[in-house]
Amino acid sequence: MEIIKNNKVVIVLVVILLVLVIIRSTSVNHFQSDAKRWAEPSVSQSNIITLENVKLLTGKKLIILDKNSSSPGEITGDVQNIPADSVLSKIYISLIKNHNGPVLIFSMDQGLSARIWMILSQMGCQSVYIYTKTSDNELLKYKFRPDTIMH
Amino acid sequence: MNTRAKFSVVLLCLGLILAFLPRSGNSSFIVRPKNLLSELLDNNTYYSVDQVARFIISEDSTVQIIDLRKPEEFRTANIPGSINIPYYTLIDRNPGSILKNGKARNIFYSNGDFDSNYALAITRGLNIKNTYVMKGGLNEWYNTIMNSSFTGEKITARENAMFEARTKAKKMFTEMNSLPDSLKAKFFQTKHLTAKKLDGGCE
Repeated sequence: MEIIKNNKVVIVLVVILLVLVIIRSTSVNHFQSDAKRWAEPSVSQSNIITLENVKLLTGKKLIILDKNSSSPGEITGDVQNIPADSVLSKIYISLIKNHNGPVLIFSMDQGLSARIWMILSQMGCQSVYIYTKTSDNELLKYKFRPDTIMH
Repeated sequence: MNTRAKFSVVLLCLGLILAFLPRSGNSSFIVRPKNLLSELLDNNTYYSVDQVARFIISEDSTVQIIDLRKPEEFRTANIPGSINIPYYTLIDRNPGSILKNGKARNIFYSNGDFDSNYALAITRGLNIKNTYVMKGGLNEWYNTIMNSSFTGEKITARENAMFEARTKAKKMFTEMNSLPDSLKAKFFQTKHLTAKKLDGGCE
């Protein structure tokens, strides 16, 4: 008791510090450190999933949809839709982080899917995939024909 | 207060400061998540291929077009005036140091939409504000600019202006990419010289 009395200032400071660290660590709405690490799946394209692979996924699927897109009918089973513009609300972000299964992002604008994926990945969400009907978005579909006529 | 107590207090204060340090630095996003989402849902972060075509033909010096594809793809054909920073290089290094080029706008493009939008999300997350995306990528460029044609009997003034811009951009793209690599840099110098001569200005 003497020790506690003599060091009460120090003990109070330790408790405050501990509480602040716990609050900071358990907060769901922050970005992870090391942006490069969390962007890695986008380099290898392991974050992209097509219909063939979606069919192999089991369990409940969360689908993040933008307001201009409707839920892809080909994905059946237990599905819950999440509006893209509310994806960072406390309810949805907790749902995504605690979900024990795949989280799919689908939009007719694939650029938007890419943006949302990057945000969620940087927040530490790991089983998030961009659902796309074809896997060739980054393939150049045209061939350049040089002009060989001398001007 | 004895020495040990003072030392303890100092350590605790340092710990407090560390706990409150912002999650910043070059390697993690510094913008708040909700603010970043709001920025990325904004359509003003896109430029269409027609807008990029106009930047190219006017040689707008406030714009830098950045090709995120692999070097071999860039060498085959690229948008005139663009520089090549492969996507994997952009995220490997500090994007801030690469993009501190004094340009009002840095416009990313890739073949499609994925890499350019990843790059946008990363740079905006690192609070680099002057980054944008050419919507649809090079596939859209080919589809709209390179394969541009007019069908019909009448054309409005606006359609005519758009078709003219597309034709000029297509010509520039074809001429530049038909040159051997060694002559591509000289291509732009020559264009500047030709334009000055037409203006009647002096060197």
